[in-house]
Amino acid sequence: MAKTVIRKKIEVLVDMPLLSRIEKLAEQAAIKFFMVLPTRGGGTEQGRWYDDRVTGGAGTKVLFSAITTEENASNFINALEPLLDSYGIIVTRSDVEVIRSAKF
Amino acid sequence: MSLYLMAAIGLKGGVEVNSAGFTPDLIVAALAGLALSCLIPIGAFFALRSFGRLDAVNASAVAAHYGSVSVVTFVTGAEFLTTNGMGAAGYMVAVLALMETPAIIVGLFLASRYGDKSKGSAHQTRGELLHETLLNGSVVLLTGSFLIGLIAGKDGFAPIAPVFETGFRGILCLFLLDMGLVAARRLREAKSLTLRLTVLAIIFPVVNGMIGASLGALVGLDAGSTAALAILAASASYIAVPAAMRLALPQADSGLYLTMSLAVTFPFNIIFGIPFYTYLATTFAQG
Repeated sequence: MAKTVIRKKIEVLVDMPLLSRIEKLAEQAAIKFFMVLPTRGGGTEQGRWYDDRVTGGAGTKVLFSAITTEENASNFINALEPLLDSYGIIVTRSDVEVIRSAKF
Repeated sequence: MSLYLMAAIGLKGGVEVNSAGFTPDLIVAALAGLALSCLIPIGAFFALRSFGRLDAVNASAVAAHYGSVSVVTFVTGAEFLTTNGMGAAGYMVAVLALMETPAIIVGLFLASRYGDKSKGSAHQTRGELLHETLLNGSVVLLTGSFLIGLIAGKDGFAPIAPVFETGFRGILCLFLLDMGLVAARRLREAKSLTLRLTVLAIIFPVVNGMIGASLGALVGLDAGSTAALAILAASASYIAVPAAMRLALPQADSGLYLTMSLAVTFPFNIIFGIPFYTYLATTFAQG
């Protein structure tokens, strides 16, 4: 059986216009593996959102998902902290098992 | 579909300017458009603060939307004018592109001048905001396709004309149908839209359209271009400005400014506004 190693998975739900900033912070935190997933819609305490494809991304959210080491994950979350309240960003962190850990 | 509409209107405008050549009217219309885009948000801001009872940050964000323009409203208006035999000059596309961004800068100035500085912070980098303001997708696409049309001229445009002319009205109809559905959904979900703000979302385009028509006639534009300027003044952005405001003024309620511009002002302009501004422009241009 392939050997697995524990890594951290961080998911950031963010408004589309802010995505480039999140990507830059991830790069600064030495995160190598990430992907950006579109969302069709959802809800928060402020109400619902939809990907209506006409409003320049202002009303659209994307899910930034990264897998990295514990140290990089902590650095990334610390860098995100000042943005959390003002931009209403949702961040989750969890353990995942990965194969070929050097890639993360 | 919006990419197609923007590219088509930009190309056609550029080709028309290539045929007609640069005229002093182009400079006059550009200056009139810039003035409207800078001044409209100021009036809107104070109306939103007093009658609309909005706080300064939300009033600034909403005001910026009304100073900027809606490409689809302009495209629909241009088709309406052409159908009625009073097509606007090709250079109005350049005026449209010019009017996209000044209102964002004025809106941000109003927010920094009157906003509560203790309430949240944008944390945005200046470069990021400048990029979003000056090089947002719609500005680049409109300006780029306008320049391509300008360089290509009628002969260069001919081979691609079937794509951008034949299907244009059909695509516009489909896009408007889609926009109607989006607007209806936004209206249904609107939580912060009060009756006073709904009234303002209808009064703003009427007043701004009247100002645009008066200014166009005053500076001597032809009836079609005056109507186009009125339509631009009356329209409210829902593409370029929301994205910039989300970056720069995250504490402003995006549900509010999107609902006002997209779910109230946009359909009002399409159904009632465009014929009204055209009537005004015709009357003022004759007077």
